[in-house]
Amino acid sequence: MTDMIALAGVHYSYPDTETEVLRGIDLTVDAGQVVGVVGASGVGKTTLAKVISGFIPHSEGGELSGGVEVDGIQVPTSTLADVVSRVGLVTQNPFNQISGAKFTVREEIAFGLENLGVPRDEMIERVADVVELLGIEELVDRSPYALSGGQQQLVAIASMMVMAPRVLVMDEPTSQLDPSGSRLVFDIMESLASKGTAVIVFEHKLELLRETAEVLHVLADGVIAATGTPREVLSDARTDEWGVGATRFTRAARRAVEQGLLPKKTELPVSLPDAVEVFRR
Amino acid sequence: MSTLYLDRPSPLNRLNPITKLVGVVSIIILVFALPYWWAPLAILILVVVPAALLARVGGRLLVVSGVLLVPLMIVIIVAQGFFNPRGETILFSLGSFNFSLEGLLFALAVGGRTVVLVTATMVLLFTTHPGKLLNALSKNGMPPKIAYVISSTLQIIPSFRTRADSILLAQRSRGLKTGGNPFRRFAVLIPLLSPLILGVFVDVDERSTAMEARAFGSTAKRTALEVLPDPLVEHIARWAVIIVALVALALSFIGALPQVSWPL
Amino acid sequence: MTDIDKPVDPNRTRNNIFIIAGTVVVVATYLYLIIAQPAAVGDGVASGGTPALITLAGYLLGAILIAFGAINRLPTTTVVLVPVAIAINIVVGQITSALGLPLYLDSIGTILVAVVAGPAAGAVTGGLSNVIWGLTLSPLALPFAIVAIVIGFVAGWAARIGVFRSYWAPPIAGIVTGIIAALASSPISAFIFGGATGGGTGAIVAAFQAFGNSLLASTTLQGLLSDPLDKLITFTVVMFILLALPTRFKQRFPFVRQYNVLPGMKKKATPAA
Repeated sequence: MTDMIALAGVHYSYPDTETEVLRGIDLTVDAGQVVGVVGASGVGKTTLAKVISGFIPHSEGGELSGGVEVDGIQVPTSTLADVVSRVGLVTQNPFNQISGAKFTVREEIAFGLENLGVPRDEMIERVADVVELLGIEELVDRSPYALSGGQQQLVAIASMMVMAPRVLVMDEPTSQLDPSGSRLVFDIMESLASKGTAVIVFEHKLELLRETAEVLHVLADGVIAATGTPREVLSDARTDEWGVGATRFTRAARRAVEQGLLPKKTELPVSLPDAVEVFRR
Repeated sequence: MSTLYLDRPSPLNRLNPITKLVGVVSIIILVFALPYWWAPLAILILVVVPAALLARVGGRLLVVSGVLLVPLMIVIIVAQGFFNPRGETILFSLGSFNFSLEGLLFALAVGGRTVVLVTATMVLLFTTHPGKLLNALSKNGMPPKIAYVISSTLQIIPSFRTRADSILLAQRSRGLKTGGNPFRRFAVLIPLLSPLILGVFVDVDERSTAMEARAFGSTAKRTALEVLPDPLVEHIARWAVIIVALVALALSFIGALPQVSWPL
Repeated sequence: MTDIDKPVDPNRTRNNIFIIAGTVVVVATYLYLIIAQPAAVGDGVASGGTPALITLAGYLLGAILIAFGAINRLPTTTVVLVPVAIAINIVVGQITSALGLPLYLDSIGTILVAVVAGPAAGAVTGGLSNVIWGLTLSPLALPFAIVAIVIGFVAGWAARIGVFRSYWAPPIAGIVTGIIAALASSPISAFIFGGATGGGTGAIVAAFQAFGNSLLASTTLQGLLSDPLDKLITFTVVMFILLALPTRFKQRFPFVRQYNVLPGMKKKATPAA
């Protein structure tokens, strides 16, 4: 399986600062994989997302060292246009992602394709596909500015997806969404991965990460503090120390083990299905 | 979205925006080219008002343009009536000031041109969705970055206005008066400015990188999702109308238009 | 300069030609009006149409050429500033007039962009600001687009030569810009609108005419009464705002860094992660 994202020994500090935010990051994401990254707020998840998607160093500057390779190109030395054509970035604030260039959602989604000069027939088809996938048919004729935060986030995701990037970087894409919206986005990530896209998602929603991500990294103190399957990582006793927290299932099971109600060697559950399985035994 | 556009079903709404634009330009050329003081009035009555009625925006036009134009016409009639240097035929006097016919006609001519300019443009704006207008212009050579700036501004103005209104409301509830001398009224503006202006600087990077991610800086030849109907009939009408206007201009320039001197 | 700030402008020559052509058209129109002094305005019953058209056409064509050329020279980071700046122009301008102040204050955004991003950016912000005003509030603003372009351009150049590095220079630059604005807009006011662009300004023009001034002189005097004061305040406000703004916001602008536009920018800043 090819590495679509490969970070090797990445260090980074913002312009005119001395403290490094990233102090030696190694991580890889294969094509068709969904990789999650968790960590406390402000630890540098957004910074890492910007490094992978090229906006560091091209837009922000600062001191970046180490290997950042995405879809076969070296990000720091390629042009931003080159990087951007391969990597889609979805950020937390949908209002900043709505271009403002168009008055309807349908045209807003197509905006990127219009700029690339994609033929009209192809545009119509790709937009329709993405709209169907995200279930936003009833929004297409409305103004992007007349939508709720969650609806705007879905439109922002649609606008990114329609560009068909081979690598998708999602920085808290469900921050404005309710549980069913969040689930939809995670399902879409899974479906995109199954078609070969490499997906890396920075999130707090532990249960959804458990179900969708193949590999989970913990970002703490500027380094990857732990790597493993979501269940391994999220049931680790150090999650509070890392600022990641734990699901109620994990906490309940941990207490049950302490009180002797469950055997010591139990693999702690993270999600509901896990818990059902653990407590049944 | 903050423009004057009204979404009414009318034949004018259905016309291609370029047709309407050419129409307005032709009207403006005509109104300045024809050297008769009654020309603007005639065009207003014969072209602009029927168009407004056809588009069912007559009432709106009256109100919106009236607010702008009535004070203007009053001022120009008074100014030119009393003070136009070519005034000879006195109509009446107020004290030592004489109101002349020449001045009045001049005011009607020049003021009339302004009225036609404003009303014709407004009929265009009432009947044309800005998105369609921008799409039509982009197709005909306007840089896409300009289209982006115009559409983005139009769409964010309402939220800026809301933010400004809430700041003003908060001030008023703290007892700050908005009447009084100019300095006090100016002081009302000050706390307004910094939160609004901060909006310019915040998130510049995030917004610009989001635009880059949508290939905004692309140098490829852009395509368009939405296609505006542009029937041959309208093509022909456009050419006909602009030719008429330009011919009138040419004739006026060489002095070949008939001299109609009424009432002078 | 980071990648995203470099303008991707393969048509640099063509765009520069547009700007130069536009400037030539504007200057030619202005000179024609001042020198040839078409006696038509205020003279005779209904003549004066052709000079008005020449003014309108010349200034509009020039404005379009300059705007089309200038916008393609701006990098994306600058272009995204413009809508917000124009929105400020519109909203503050409207509130100012609602408060009944004898000012416009409708170019704060333009001057702000000009100072942080340069003359081309200022010009585009000014011109499109008039267009938006024309589309949403009053079509009377549209023929004055070239004046706004000139204001933005001049402010940008003032910033470039270091006017905003001191505390006493911006207000003076504001007065100078205001004078330029008054001189540039008076032919438009006089020839196209006969001196009446609104009730209030029209009355002042009429008052000057009552003292025996020609229409062109009257509109110029009316402009000189209000524009320098308005721009003086605008430049001063922008200066204060930029002083109060944290350095990390200001240093992001290559124009500010390259020409050392603002005072006191040598500190190290700690940005948010």
